[in-house]
Amino acid sequence: MNATNDVVVIAIGNPYRRDDGVGPALAERLAARQPSGVDIEVLDGEPTRLLDAWTGARLAIVIDAVLCQPAQPGRIHRTRLDDLPTGRPAASSHGMGIPEAVALGTVLDRLPRRLIVYAVEAADIGFGTDLTPEVAAALPALLDAVRADIADDVGRSDDPED
Amino acid sequence: MSHRGSRQLQVSGLARVEGEGALHVSVRDGRVQRVAMRIYEPPRFFEAFLRGRAFTEPPDITARICGICPVAYQLSACNAIEDACGVSVGGQVAALRRLLYCGEWISSHALHIYLLHAPDFLGYPDAITLARDHREIVERGLALKKAGNAILDLVGGRAIHPVNVRLGGFYRAPTRAELAGLAERLRPALDAAIATTQWVSTFDFPDLELDHELLALHEPDRYAIESGTPRTASGADWPLADYPTHVVEQQVPHSTALHARLDGAEFLTGPLARYAVNSATLSPTARQVAADAGLGAVCRNPFRSIVVRAVEVVYALDEALRLIDGYEPPEESFVDVAARPGVGHGATEAPRGLLYHRYAIDAAGLISSADIVPPTAQNQAAIETDLARLVQANLHLDDHTLTGLCEQAIRNYDPCISCSAHFLELTVDRR
Repeated sequence: MNATNDVVVIAIGNPYRRDDGVGPALAERLAARQPSGVDIEVLDGEPTRLLDAWTGARLAIVIDAVLCQPAQPGRIHRTRLDDLPTGRPAASSHGMGIPEAVALGTVLDRLPRRLIVYAVEAADIGFGTDLTPEVAAALPALLDAVRADIADDVGRSDDPED
Repeated sequence: MSHRGSRQLQVSGLARVEGEGALHVSVRDGRVQRVAMRIYEPPRFFEAFLRGRAFTEPPDITARICGICPVAYQLSACNAIEDACGVSVGGQVAALRRLLYCGEWISSHALHIYLLHAPDFLGYPDAITLARDHREIVERGLALKKAGNAILDLVGGRAIHPVNVRLGGFYRAPTRAELAGLAERLRPALDAAIATTQWVSTFDFPDLELDHELLALHEPDRYAIESGTPRTASGADWPLADYPTHVVEQQVPHSTALHARLDGAEFLTGPLARYAVNSATLSPTARQVAADAGLGAVCRNPFRSIVVRAVEVVYALDEALRLIDGYEPPEESFVDVAARPGVGHGATEAPRGLLYHRYAIDAAGLISSADIVPPTAQNQAAIETDLARLVQANLHLDDHTLTGLCEQAIRNYDPCISCSAHFLELTVDRR
């Protein structure tokens, strides 16, 4: 399934792994007042699904949880394609994610025209269904940022030069 | 990500699986003394989380354990609870379950074959580099995976944590017309699967024969997928209710995972085990493809598991088309399941191997205990033994090369690294 709309918001994560559920939590809030012309997908991060979700999109916004050292839980990192880290080959099909999807999309010409990745620093990705307070507190700002990106894209799409 | 200065992003930070994966090898006087793999987190949280929940909930909750094989968790849970409640699901509803499971096998195996396993044999570090030189091959793999996803989307409602599965069957059964449309997409995929098997059968495989016992579900008349009775490659079998007396999990010091023993010995589940126990029940097309690929009735070389997976993709597509051909929409899309106090056992063949669930239900219809025995927990001891042999035979290599070799060997089994082992951290303690 290629993107049916020009803009797709892709939330990656497992709501049963505490802060890993920040993407799905954002998707739920965004869907409560869904901007028109925007697809919202919740995925587990498997790269071929990511390719399917963003192929053909003008803008893809991906939201994921991230572990950092030292950590500042709840901090939001907004990044573009070329800043993404690359890892070593995965030992299992359970171990692939966004960097593999971007690399594969590049080789196969299956990247969205613009890709924005939001990585929210997690405090705890152990088992559990609730976000930690620090990450939950970051949700409003994250939602505002995603909505602003969508609005900005609508502005750009009106511009024939872009 | 936009880390600056002293900040450092963990390499696994954006990987989907959380935690760390590690392999620790102790070498004393040139002998491998101990190999300890820490890659797997057991589903203990889910077992605890399930206690006190309604008996209808485990299929959905346990599907969250794994995004790559949710159908396996859903259907093992359904089988176990239906067993406890004295309900059996047959006819077209059972056929739809099998069809859905075929989708998961196709999708999961295609991902593993093309994105993980094949690059090892072709001298590429990963599928991205492979795609640079052989774009059409990787595209074929992605198309094959998409055929599996199409089944999951239609029958399961969606591919990630399918929402259409419920106790007793499905919320909604597809129409004949919908399945006819699906069949149109599966036919070319079957050709791609046959081509895949031919392709992987030409790889060079290191000589290695495993002597572990092999355990899989068995059905007399079909390749066991969504149901069956446990059977070993040496011909022993027993009722599923006896599973806990034959397969015993033990705590081991180096891992949070329990290690399972089959009647006291290491054993393997998964594609090699399924093929050894059930190759005679493959469809004629799949049997022919397997024979053309050089597989006998049994295959004990873990590197050749890529060929067995490819044959299973052929079978799953062939079987999906057969099921669609014989499909008549059931009058009811599910069988009523009423809660009944008792214990139930359920097992299915997840892409990685046998997945066993056991639930006890109390008089109020709530889950009073849950046991989930995933394939990786069962395989872990055998994988460690195989790695010990491999490391012993290659101790002359430097740590970097040895790590690569271990990673390749681990990929043979495609373990569920449900803790984010994006890469393997190898420690060789040589003294």
